[in-house]
Amino acid sequence: MLQREKSVIIYLPEVVNGQKVKAMNIKQIAKAAGVSVATVSRVLNHPENVAEKTRIKIQKIIDETEYKPNWFAQGLNFNKTKTIGLVIPHTLNSNYMEIANGVEDVARQKGYITFMCNMEGDPELEKEYIDQLVTRKVDGIILLYTLGLDEEYIQWIEELEIPIVIIGENRIKSDWDSVEVDCRAAMAEITSHILECGHRRIGMLRGTDPEMETRSMMQGFRNVMKASGVRAEEKMILDVDNTIEGGYIGIKKMIGGTSKPPDAIITTSDEIAYGAMDAIKELGLLIPEDIAITGFGNDRMSSLVEPKLTTVELPFRKMGRYGARILFDHIEEGRAIHKKHVTRTIKLQAKSRIRKSCGNQDRIGEMF
Amino acid sequence: MLKTDFMGLKLSNPVMIAAGPWNRDGKGIKESLEAGAGAAVTESIVSDTVLDVRPRISCDDNGAQNIRLYSDIQIEGWEREMDIAKSSGGIVIGSVSGNTASEVSYLASKLERFGADAIEISVSNPAVESLEVVASNADVVYQMTKECVSAVKLPVIVKLSQNTTNISKVAKAVKDAGGSGVTAINTVRGILGVDIDSAVPMLSTYGGISGEYIRPFGLASVATIAQTVDIPICGVGGISEYKHAIEYIMLGASAVQVGTAVMLEGRDMIRKIVQELEIWAQDNEFDDLSEIRGKALDNLKSFEEMKFEPAVARANGASCNENCEKCISACMYNAITKKAGSISVDRSRCTGCGLCTFVCPANKLKLDL
Repeated sequence: MLQREKSVIIYLPEVVNGQKVKAMNIKQIAKAAGVSVATVSRVLNHPENVAEKTRIKIQKIIDETEYKPNWFAQGLNFNKTKTIGLVIPHTLNSNYMEIANGVEDVARQKGYITFMCNMEGDPELEKEYIDQLVTRKVDGIILLYTLGLDEEYIQWIEELEIPIVIIGENRIKSDWDSVEVDCRAAMAEITSHILECGHRRIGMLRGTDPEMETRSMMQGFRNVMKASGVRAEEKMILDVDNTIEGGYIGIKKMIGGTSKPPDAIITTSDEIAYGAMDAIKELGLLIPEDIAITGFGNDRMSSLVEPKLTTVELPFRKMGRYGARILFDHIEEGRAIHKKHVTRTIKLQAKSRIRKSCGNQDRIGEMF
Repeated sequence: MLKTDFMGLKLSNPVMIAAGPWNRDGKGIKESLEAGAGAAVTESIVSDTVLDVRPRISCDDNGAQNIRLYSDIQIEGWEREMDIAKSSGGIVIGSVSGNTASEVSYLASKLERFGADAIEISVSNPAVESLEVVASNADVVYQMTKECVSAVKLPVIVKLSQNTTNISKVAKAVKDAGGSGVTAINTVRGILGVDIDSAVPMLSTYGGISGEYIRPFGLASVATIAQTVDIPICGVGGISEYKHAIEYIMLGASAVQVGTAVMLEGRDMIRKIVQELEIWAQDNEFDDLSEIRGKALDNLKSFEEMKFEPAVARANGASCNENCEKCISACMYNAITKKAGSISVDRSRCTGCGLCTFVCPANKLKLDL
């Protein structure tokens, strides 16, 4: 026993002026502990398979010497690089960053590093990043609001047998695993609320992306309008860029020349709503007295603007978490994207956040 | 003697420890099982943990109010916690909660992999739910249960809320969806009280009321389900002694859960309840608690089935040394008088309401024909 403790001291890295000169390798750790390299490796990778006494002893040496396993060597040994790729449409959009936060949170707990790639809304860049991630041997890829891949590319990627999960709308293949939010129900709920507030001339600023979600939202909007018997003002349904500028320009176009502005405007994102609010104020109109407005997303700013924006809360972090969860299920079970029995689609729910911009008078919606 | 088969789970006794912060991690659950509980239910596990508000639990002599929101350990962490929870054996039921069927079934399938013995779906949370309560929507409960049942091979039990107009309908939805059982009831939405000096409620938002306050509601819910739907029931709400457990079982429960009493008095009280239950069964010569299951339901009639008998109170001129006069104050028909240390009932005035028989501390009054 004493002998072994001595040997630990011998193999500690050389320290000069408090600075470690050379880190130990796995062979030296094994020698120091008086065990085989395989045992040290098991402590690092499958500690549950090592006797507790041995494990504690080896771990102590690992801790003392601050030994870090060689990442590349580990990747080669286990055919896992402990990295995943996350392809994001725009890193400046805080909603996407919240989703990324959820992904990374799960990845970190699994001991993984996440490569984040910003495709800047460019479908070519999206493919290029996927290529790069594949080249770097990531263990799986998450595509956030993918812009869509062509048939040939899809076939190529399926042949690679790398796990892929889609978060947001699935524009690729319905049998790829995905995490979705029921946007139709959410928009139906907010449209009903606008009608309950007494508004009848309703305008709509519709973002040109995300395309499928916007289409679902329009279905929700139209279903409620039809059921309520209120005629939709087709001239006031405008397609705009899904940005603050898009919302601003949309309002200028919609209200600019008209003598009869709408009572309320429903938008498909908070960003569009911010721009719209700016333009409405500039036109000298009051929110919600002259024109009520709603957003979609519930980003942090929505409760800070004046008046506070009535919107729909999307479960961004939860979307990220579930995307990562399904991906890790595949990675751990060694299942490639198209070699699974059942498609896993996690459907999440959005929730109305009733505040002041919609013109509601009672507090019921706000309290609950 | 107390061995219980609940949805195929072989319990050493029918007393489980309910979902709650006392079962917030593996260590807590292990302690619950070591205290002699027949099974332990994890604190409800959700998709996305949120920070706990402070303070979040208040109590008085009759129960507690909590606004605690679910487990603060993410599903990933429960792999480790389940290992710890089950390290000395015992049955662990994983409680899950979510907004959609796919969330609930995902969490359930994970807990199955981590070693849970059954799944309990929590469909109500009085602290955060809005005016529309999921637990009162039989269609949503059906969808959640069905998707969960197809995702796991374990028994799936659904924890129902008393906050619904028709609990039978919801219990039936669970059965139709393939659920193995129901737990009744979850805490009841409420406010424990207001400090009148500062005009501040005891907690800063609505919460779930538990303990003594809700036992009558729990008993009624269990009885209603037992009388209308053929599904195993786990009774919960205000159990703090063995008699309460027997009440639930006599009204149709196969097993029971204890929560608030464990929170306020510690896990040792489980051991006490189980021991006293055993002694009671021995004294009454029951080999198996299933012999008393639903026994009180025979004496629980619908209003229409009740017979209108002209019973009135009788004191038989009993001498009364009590100085309370509770019966006199409580008689809304002015039928009771007390003269020279003896009470008498004017049988022409008495309408047989029966209240005096319950208020008399010395049990002097009886109702008969």
